[in-house]
Amino acid sequence: MKISGTHEIQASRERVYAALIDPQILQRCIPGCESLEETSEHVYIATMKAGIGPVKGTFKGNVHLNDMQPPEHYRMTVEGKGGPGFVKGTGNFNLAETDSSTVVHYEGDMQVGGVIASVGQRMIEAAAKMLAAQFFKALESEIKS
Amino acid sequence: MADKYVGKRVKRTEDPRLIKGLAHYVDDIGLPGTLHVAFVRSMYAHARITGIDTSEALKVPGVVAVYTGKDIATKIGPVPCAAALPDLKVPDYRVLATDKVLFVGHPIAAVVATDKYAARDAAEILYPGVELEELPAVVSIIDGVPTTPVIHEHFGDNIAYKLTSGEGDIEAAMKAADRIVKQKMIHQRLAPIAMEPRGVLARYFPGEEELTVWSSTQIPHLLRTQLALMIGIPENKLRVITPEVGGGFGSKLNVYAEEALLGWISMQLGKPVKWIESRRENVAATIHGRAQVGTVEVGIKNDGTITGLRYNVVADLGAYHQLLTPAIPTLTGLMLSGAYKIPAIQMNVTGVFTNKMSTDAYRGAGRPEATYVVERVMDVIARELNLDPIEVRRKNFPKADEFPFHTATGLDYDSGDYEAALKKALDLSGYQKLREEQKKARDNGKLIGIGLSSYVEICALGPSQAMPAGGWESATVRIEPTGKVTVLTGASPHGQGQETSFAQIAADEVGVDLNDVTVIHGDTGIVQYGIGTFGSRATAVGGTAVLIAIHKLKEKAAKIAAHMMQCDASRLSFEAGCYSKQEAAAAAVTGKSEPVVPVGEGPAGALHEVPTPTNGRNKITIQEIALAAHIAKELPPDTEPGLSATYFFEPKNFTFPFGTHICVVEIDKDTGETKIIKYVAVDDCGKVINPLLVDGQVHGGIVQSIGQALYEEVVYDEQGQLVTGELMDYALPRASQMPWFDTDRTETPSPVNPLGVKGVGEAGTIGATPAIVNAVVDALSPYGVKHLDMPVRPEAVWRIIRAPEG
Repeated sequence: MKISGTHEIQASRERVYAALIDPQILQRCIPGCESLEETSEHVYIATMKAGIGPVKGTFKGNVHLNDMQPPEHYRMTVEGKGGPGFVKGTGNFNLAETDSSTVVHYEGDMQVGGVIASVGQRMIEAAAKMLAAQFFKALESEIKS
Repeated sequence: MADKYVGKRVKRTEDPRLIKGLAHYVDDIGLPGTLHVAFVRSMYAHARITGIDTSEALKVPGVVAVYTGKDIATKIGPVPCAAALPDLKVPDYRVLATDKVLFVGHPIAAVVATDKYAARDAAEILYPGVELEELPAVVSIIDGVPTTPVIHEHFGDNIAYKLTSGEGDIEAAMKAADRIVKQKMIHQRLAPIAMEPRGVLARYFPGEEELTVWSSTQIPHLLRTQLALMIGIPENKLRVITPEVGGGFGSKLNVYAEEALLGWISMQLGKPVKWIESRRENVAATIHGRAQVGTVEVGIKNDGTITGLRYNVVADLGAYHQLLTPAIPTLTGLMLSGAYKIPAIQMNVTGVFTNKMSTDAYRGAGRPEATYVVERVMDVIARELNLDPIEVRRKNFPKADEFPFHTATGLDYDSGDYEAALKKALDLSGYQKLREEQKKARDNGKLIGIGLSSYVEICALGPSQAMPAGGWESATVRIEPTGKVTVLTGASPHGQGQETSFAQIAADEVGVDLNDVTVIHGDTGIVQYGIGTFGSRATAVGGTAVLIAIHKLKEKAAKIAAHMMQCDASRLSFEAGCYSKQEAAAAAVTGKSEPVVPVGEGPAGALHEVPTPTNGRNKITIQEIALAAHIAKELPPDTEPGLSATYFFEPKNFTFPFGTHICVVEIDKDTGETKIIKYVAVDDCGKVINPLLVDGQVHGGIVQSIGQALYEEVVYDEQGQLVTGELMDYALPRASQMPWFDTDRTETPSPVNPLGVKGVGEAGTIGATPAIVNAVVDALSPYGVKHLDMPVRPEAVWRIIRAPEG
C-alpha cells in the first residue's frame, strides 16, 4: 500500500530536520507513542498505542533511519507488531525550503497484516493521513515553543 | 398413511423457543468451573515459526495453561480428510502449527484462562512472542497453478491432485460439432457465515474417564468417531452433543482442530473448557466454499444441439485438506450434464494448495459451480446462435419419458419433467410479456435483463458406495408407556426444521397427534449412530428411515393388537392410530380411508384407560398397545416387551431435484447497481412433507445465491492477507437488498425412497446464481457484454456503461 503526503511547517529546514530525528521530540509528537528509545545511532525501539476503527492495540517495533542527508532527506524503515497485527514499511522524507517555511514530503510503501489488514485495510490510508496530520501539527508547535 | 399432516403447511415446532430466545446453543450451556480458551492465530499467510515465548502470556492473571504446536504434536492426531482420490497428496494437518504457518488464522497456540477476557488478553500478549520468518505466499489461481514457492516442500509442487472424469468420446464429440463455444468463468471464494459461529464445550470426568463434547456441528456421530481417533479415547467413552445449531451451510460438516484440542485440554486439566468462535475467527478459520477458475468448451450444432462439453478447472483447495476438501470439485464433475442430453462430457480438474483457509462443502458443494458453468454457457450458446435462451434449453432437455436418464457424467437421474417446470416458470413470470416490456424499456433507455436457469441437482447423499463414511441414515421410533411417540434420528438438523417434518411423518404414520411426537437428535449418548445433515439428505434418507422404522414397529403392534382382540392379524385394519377388528368380508377392503381423528383427540385416553380387559373389544389404539407392551401381561407368546423399532435406511441412488428460476433485473445507469425486480422459482423436489419448510429452504438458498452473484467474495491480498475479515468488509446480502420471491412447484416423486421426496436444502444456491448473472449479462447485452464474473459489482457494471462506445 502506497502512502504519501505533504506538510508545511513554519520553520527553517535545519530546525525541522533536527526535530524529525530527535527521539524526545518524536516521542511527544507521535500520536499514541508510549516510549521511543535509541538503541544505537538512528535505531529506535518504540511502543505505540494505535487504533484503526474498531481495531486497537499496542504495537512494539523498530524504527531505523538511514540514508541521512541533512537537512534534505532521510529514509525510515519501520517494523512493528502487536496484538491486532503487524506493520512493515519504508518511507522517504524529503524536506524542501520555501521563503518562510519547510515543506515535508513523504512517500512510502506499507504492508499490514493480521486483524488490521482483515478489518481495517480500507480505512488505513485515511487513518494514516490523520495520524500524520496530528504528528506534524504537534511537531510544529514543538518547534515553535 | 392418512395424510393429516404430511403435505400441510405445519408451523415449525422449533420456532417458539428460537424466537423467544429460549433455545440453547453451545454458548448457552454453562458448567461450573469452566475454563475458557483463546487461540493465537497466524497473521501471516506463510511463515516459518522460529520460536514461541509464552512467558508473558503465562503471567496474565487468570491464565492456567498455554499450549503450542510442539507441546502437542505427538499427542493429538491430525485433522482428518475423508476424501479418497487416486494419488491425492494429504498434508499432515496438526491441530496447532508446528514448524510453519500456512494461512492467516492458522492456530499457533491455545491459551486457557479462568475467564474469556483473560484468555483473549493473554493471547494478544502472547502473539509478539511468536517469532515468525515470513515467506512469500501462494495466493492467486486466476492464471493457473501457482508454482512457487512450494507450500508443502516434501510434495515438490503445489498440486494436490489431478483428476479426469466423464464418459463418451469427447474428441469425437467436439469434431462432430458445427462450432465450439468457449468461456472462462470464475467461481469466487465465499464464506459460509452461519449466524452462529462455531463453538465447543468439553468436559472430562477423570473418575469415569468420560469425555463429553458439545459442538456446533452437523455430524455428531462422525465427529465422535474422528475425535476418538484423534484424541485416543475409546469411542464409547466419548459423547458428542449437538445442542441448537445456528446454521451450518456445510461449514459445520467437518472435523476441526479446535474440537479435538478442546477435548484434549479438558482431559489434561480435568475441567470443562469452552471456546466460542468470534466472527473474525469464523471468516478466517472456518472453511470457505467455491473457489474454482475454469474454462468450459461446448461443441454445438447450428440448431443448438450440444455434442459435447469439456471443463478444465483449477480448484483452490487452501493450505490443508479439511474433511471433504478435495472431493468437492468431483461433485462439480458429476453435475456437468445439467438438465441436458450431452453425449460426451469431460472434466479435468487440478486441485492446488494455496496459503489460504481450506475450501470445503458450502451449501451446494461443487454443484453450484457445475450449474453455473452449464446454465451460463447455455446463454453464451444462445447468443452465439442468436436463439432465445429457452429454445437452446428445450432443444437439449431429456423428455419426461426418458427417465431414469443416464448422463455422460456417470449418473442415473431418477425422475424428472424439466419442460413442465420450465413452462410453469415461464407462465408464472409472464415471460413473453417480460420480453416485450424489456424491449420497450430499452427503447426508453432503461437497462432491464431477464435471466433463467433450468437446473438439476444431486441430493439425498447418498448410496454408501459413493460416500466416504456411509450414506445411510438411521431412526429409532418408540412409543412410550404413556403413548408418546419418540423419534430418534441420526440426522442432525440445524435449522432445516426436521423436528417438525419428521414429526409430521411419524404422526401420520402412527396415527397420533403431532404434539404427541418428539423428535430427538444430535446426542450420541441417546441416539443410535447416524450420518448427519448435509447434501440435502435428511428427509430423503433420514425421513425414510423414520417411516420404515414405524412400519417395523407397527408389525409388532399389529401382532399385539390381534392377540388382545383375540383375532387373526390379517383381520385387522389400521386407521388413524387405531386397530380395528374387521368382519371377514370387510377385511378385504383395505386402504379405505376413515375420517381422521381431530387434533387433540385420541391420545389423552391412553393415559387414563388401562387397556384390559380387551376381550370383546373391536378397536384398540396403538397407544394402548404401547402401554400393554410395556406392562407385558398380555403379550402374544415369543413377543419381546416394549414397542420400539430401529431402521438403517440405505438408499439405492441419489435423487435429482430440478426446476427453473427466472430473474429480472434493472440496472441503474448512474451507479451500476443491479436491482432484482422480479424473481420466480419453480422447484421440483419430489413429494413435499411441509411446503412452509420448502419455501424457507428455497428463500434462504436464493438469498445466498444473490450474495454470490452480486456481493460476496473472500478476498486475500497479494501477501495472502485476508482483507474481508468481518461483516463490514465481507458483503453479506441484507434484507433490504432482497426482492420478493414468487415460489411454486411441480411435483415429480422420486422412485428412490417410499416417501417420494428428493431434497431441497441446496436448490436455491444451485439454481439461482446463473439466473441472476444471466439477467445482468442480458441487461448489458446492448453494450456487447457476453459474460461477467461474479460478484457482479456495481463498479464493473458502471465501467461497462461508461466505457466510450466502440
